[in-house]
Amino acid sequence: MTSGSVPKTDSEKPNDNVVKKIVIRRLPPTLTKEQFLDIVSPLPEYDYFYYCNADLSLGAYAFCRAYICFKNHQDVFNFRDRFDNYVFVDSKSNEYPAIVEYAPYQRRYKFDPKNPPKKDSK
Amino acid sequence: PENNKIEKKALSPLHEYVKKILYKDLNKLCVEKILRLMKKLNWDNEELRFYCINCLIAAWNVRYNSIHCLANLVSGLALYYEEVGFQIVDGVIEDIRLGLEVNLPKFNQRRVSMVKYLGELYNYRMVESSIIFKTLYTLITYGVSYDINEAMSENAIDPLDNYFRVRLVCALLDTCGQYFDRGSTKKKLDCFLVYFQKYYLFKKESSQGVEMARPFDRFDVEFVFTEVLSSLRPEFKFLKKFQDACDAVVKMENEIKESLTKTNPNLFGDFNQ
Repeated sequence: MTSGSVPKTDSEKPNDNVVKKIVIRRLPPTLTKEQFLDIVSPLPEYDYFYYCNADLSLGAYAFCRAYICFKNHQDVFNFRDRFDNYVFVDSKSNEYPAIVEYAPYQRRYKFDPKNPPKKDSK
Repeated sequence: PENNKIEKKALSPLHEYVKKILYKDLNKLCVEKILRLMKKLNWDNEELRFYCINCLIAAWNVRYNSIHCLANLVSGLALYYEEVGFQIVDGVIEDIRLGLEVNLPKFNQRRVSMVKYLGELYNYRMVESSIIFKTLYTLITYGVSYDINEAMSENAIDPLDNYFRVRLVCALLDTCGQYFDRGSTKKKLDCFLVYFQKYYLFKKESSQGVEMARPFDRFDVEFVFTEVLSSLRPEFKFLKKFQDACDAVVKMENEIKESLTKTNPNLFGDFNQ
C-alpha cells in the first residue's frame, strides 16, 4: 500500500502497442456471459476476456459490458465492423444497440509465470 | 393507486458484511485493517468477486471525504489481486461515461463522487495521468457543440443551461490537479485549462438570456471555477469574453503547430497543400 499520495512520475508501463483492449458497451442488462459469447462466436483468437454484469442501481440505464483483447490487430476492425451498432435484443424484445470502442484504460491482467500472483498468507 | 413495492433481494450475511466494512467502518485510521479483512475473502468465488468489485466501484456509497480511503484500499488490494484493480478502474471510467450519456440530475451526486474517486485513484497510482486527461477532455467535448442553435436544441447532450460538467471538471482538478505541477503533465494541464476556459465562457455568455432551472448555479459555478483555477495556477489570466478565449485557443494551437513543424517539417505538409 502506498502511504503517501504523491505520484512522482508516471510509470507508463511498456505496453505492447499492437494489442489493444476493446470494450463493448450498452449490452442488455439481462444478457449473460454465455449468451454473449454465443452471439459473437466465433471469436478470433484473444488473450483477455472479461464480462461485467450490469450495475442495477442505475435502473433503466443499467447495461452489461465486455472487454476483449484480440491477438491480431486486424480482428479489432473486423469485430468493430460487425458489432458496432449491432442491435442486441433481450427476452422482452427491447433493443440495445451496442457500442464498440477502444477501452480508455488499457492495462489488463497478464499471467506472468516468473511472478505468480502473491497468495495471501492470511 | 396501488404501490408496486419493489422487492428487495435479501443479501447474504457475507454480502452484508462486505457492505458494512466498506461503507460504514472504513475511515482513515482503519484502512489497513479493512484491507486485511478484504484480502481474507474468497476471491476465487466468482459471485462474491463480482459483488465485491461492484461494491468497490460504488464510491458514491462512501462519505465524500472518505473516498480517498477507498482508493487507498483498492491500491492495496491490487498488489495481491491485480486483475481486480483493473476491473475496478474500468468500472469507474464506465460510470463516468454513462453519467455523461444519461445526464440525469438524480445521478449528480453520484457523478461528482465518481469523478473524485478517479482522481484519488490517480493519487494512489492506480491510473496514469493520461486517463485523467482523457477524462477531462471527454468532459468538455462529449456531445458539446459551440453552435448556439445546436446547444439550445431539446435533445442536446449537454444543454446550455446545465453547468454540471464544469463542476465535474473542477472536482477532478481539485482532487489531483495539484500534482500536475512539473514536466509534461504541467504543460498538458496548461493546455487543458485554455480549452476549459473556452468551454466555460461559452456556457456563461450564451446562457445569459436563458431561463435556468437553477438560477443561482451561474454564480456558484463561477466561484468554483475561479477558485479551482487560481489555486492551481495563481498566475492564470482569466478572460472575460468567449471570443477572447477562442483566440487564446487558436494562438496556443498555432504555437504548438509551429514547434512541431520545427522538429518535423512534413507533419502538417498535407494540410497546407
